[in-house]
Amino acid sequence: MSGIFDHPPAAVISEALQARMRKRLAKMSDTEVQAYLADAIYLERRRFHEQRKTDPPDPAEVAPIQHAARAIRGDRRDQELAILHLVDTYAHEIHNEFNRRTYQVATKVLPGALGRLLTATRPGELLHGHFNPEERLVIETAHDDGGAWLRRIAQTHTLIYAPTHVSNLDSPLIGFALHSLGLPPAIYGAGLNLFSSPVMAYFMSRLGAYTVDRRKKHALYKDVLKDYSVDSLGRRCHSLFFPGGTRSRSGRVETSVKKGLLGTGIIAWQEGLEKRRPNPEVLVIPVTLSFSLVLEAETLIEDCLQEEGKRRYIIADDEFSQPRTVAHFARQILNLDDAIVIRFGRPLDLLGHPVDDEGRTIGPGGSPLDRRLYVTDRDGTVDWDEQRDRVYTRVLSESLVRAWHRDNTVLATHAACYAAGQLLRRSYLHLPTAELVLVDDEDRSLPRARLLEALAQLIETLEQMAAEGRLRLRLPGPAGDPHGRATAVLAEALQRFRGFHSRRALADEGTKITMDTRLCLYYGHRLSGYGLPDPM
Amino acid sequence: MNVAILGSGNWGRALATLAAEAGHRARLGHRGRPPGGFPGSPNFHALTAESDLTLVAVPPSAVREVIRLARPGPAARVVIACRGLEPETGGWLSEVVTAESACLRVGAITGPTIAAEVMARRPSAMVVASEFDEVADRTQRALHSAICRVYTSSDLRGVELSGAAVTVLSVAVGVADGLKLGVGVRAIIVSRGIAETVRLGRKLGANPDTFRGLAGVGDLIAAASLHDHPGTAAGLRMAQGGTADADTRKRAEAMVALARRHDVELPLAEAVAAIAAGRLKPRLAIDMLMRREATTES
Repeated sequence: MSGIFDHPPAAVISEALQARMRKRLAKMSDTEVQAYLADAIYLERRRFHEQRKTDPPDPAEVAPIQHAARAIRGDRRDQELAILHLVDTYAHEIHNEFNRRTYQVATKVLPGALGRLLTATRPGELLHGHFNPEERLVIETAHDDGGAWLRRIAQTHTLIYAPTHVSNLDSPLIGFALHSLGLPPAIYGAGLNLFSSPVMAYFMSRLGAYTVDRRKKHALYKDVLKDYSVDSLGRRCHSLFFPGGTRSRSGRVETSVKKGLLGTGIIAWQEGLEKRRPNPEVLVIPVTLSFSLVLEAETLIEDCLQEEGKRRYIIADDEFSQPRTVAHFARQILNLDDAIVIRFGRPLDLLGHPVDDEGRTIGPGGSPLDRRLYVTDRDGTVDWDEQRDRVYTRVLSESLVRAWHRDNTVLATHAACYAAGQLLRRSYLHLPTAELVLVDDEDRSLPRARLLEALAQLIETLEQMAAEGRLRLRLPGPAGDPHGRATAVLAEALQRFRGFHSRRALADEGTKITMDTRLCLYYGHRLSGYGLPDPM
Repeated sequence: MNVAILGSGNWGRALATLAAEAGHRARLGHRGRPPGGFPGSPNFHALTAESDLTLVAVPPSAVREVIRLARPGPAARVVIACRGLEPETGGWLSEVVTAESACLRVGAITGPTIAAEVMARRPSAMVVASEFDEVADRTQRALHSAICRVYTSSDLRGVELSGAAVTVLSVAVGVADGLKLGVGVRAIIVSRGIAETVRLGRKLGANPDTFRGLAGVGDLIAAASLHDHPGTAAGLRMAQGGTADADTRKRAEAMVALARRHDVELPLAEAVAAIAAGRLKPRLAIDMLMRREATTES
């Protein structure tokens, strides 16, 4: 059995996840088993209680928790059965059966399907799409070979695609990019809110998305999710994780990542080695998404500027929750050239090292090394050590963050907003950012000539950084002519911001350019993490 | 357990004594004449490949070269057994290992353990830190015995920073002693030196308790009590009008540069760097430290 095309039905997955849970329970004391179950009951009941005020919980969700609440008063066996019952419930909830026919139909009508999928608000509209996303998306690979290397390595290695997270459109766009490159589809976790649109839900559930309910906070659910990931990787399903966990609120390229799902790669790899599976190797592909315009920018930066404690991990009521807004966005962005850049970076092993063309780890001296030695004894037996693996995953996450920054493509909207933010900052040196975004309307007006000068200086710096391989540039205008390029960059940014967000990040007023401080902060943040001053 | 010790000076031989005392097979990597008392080899790579644990007991400026020779692989566990930042780059020595080799499982040991006292089998103690529990545990097993207590810690950054701070603060103690300022000043340097190290440590994500333990206070008291400790001796020379050796100057500069990168003020380390670079006379440096603005203790 291998790959998403052979992903078994939920009943089989449930059996496998229950077997993993039995192993976990076997290592726990009676008190630990009880506490594990009690944590699930307590956090779920609290959620149901809070949810009742707005949206009564589904009885199908409540029943297993009620069952568990009765079982916790029994002995260990009762408690273990209740836990396994919950695992079964969650396995069926998480797993969506990949549908080969839907995939074939979808890929036949591609490349138009993505445009239609994004722009349709009713299933009937799917037949009348007019967009060709292939012309609008820039899909790059580190090997610059149209994906040939990735296609070859995907046959012998299981791939984890690890993208930056900008928008809820990321998953379908990466799915589309994989198809465009001729790569097999990948499974990916999608929040429940993304299944609220019937069109999106229909396709997502059949094209590799598994359901992640971020409202469930208890350890048992998180363990089932991780087990599902390990199991899927073990079945050679290429997987898509967002190591940042949630969309970047600030607009910055992520500088830290959550290690939970990312850490499942090293477990799956060691299981593969131990069970002597034919192709046990797992590689990580850093993926960097750069959007000229981001649908949810206004909501995300607003949330970012909230005081600590008022920020939301899950935003369910953003622009993405309104199908017509998504459709409007898709129509706009799919009519722009170079609107979105998706870059598949240099692959990494699970310890953060680069790999060569054969997928072998390249050591610091530049020669290949046997990476199995990181996890095996001298006799080649897998030496399990969870603590060690957590450190390895931390090392991997640092390599990922470096790769994302290297592969981040700076676009005209980012550069223009950054330069505008810097000009405003110079006038208010001592104001904290949270207050700077609140300056009066008249103070947000910048002389065009000064903005162009600041932009030219910035472009000169960015060109130098790009030459050093620290980031990537995709700006209009002639390279090596910062002033000429500044004019082209500002013109493109102004044109892109026209009529897109409810407020314009930058608006043309003749000799003056007015700015929306929050949006400029959001787009300007794309240049954070390179040792440059903050955008504002 | 096979323990390789790269470096056959006094400290290397002291570590070999501790490993042997704990019941393990210690082998010394040497570059000159073979050391007496322990088996040794000039082939650092073979020694490392055949060992369960490798301890690096050479001066910080030689660590990079030694790691290039040893080429520890993915299976190796390498523990830095010298104090300080790399003088040339100001980088962490554990990161020199991971940058120069395939080894990821690294750690560091430090503490008030004096080579001569170990060789005389007097009681001693040290702390080994690693992000990897198995590296810390393995090192503890390798060196812990009736003559040496070895404590483990997961605060690698804190232990490395403590070691780096002690190399600089011990110079300040030497300067104060050379100027015959008395034991009160010595105590001030120890306590305020630890306070400034804690400030920097917090910025680096280290555990403040590390600086109050063997790696910080313990090591600094030992260094301050020994006039032949390299740092204290350098301070004494400078107080008597001598010039700083290149290592002392570079170590102090590296420490100050590290603090500046993290926007932390280290008045004592900055004073040592200025004296070592010849920018300040020792007495004037003490005077300037005393004239700093009055402030709260913490």
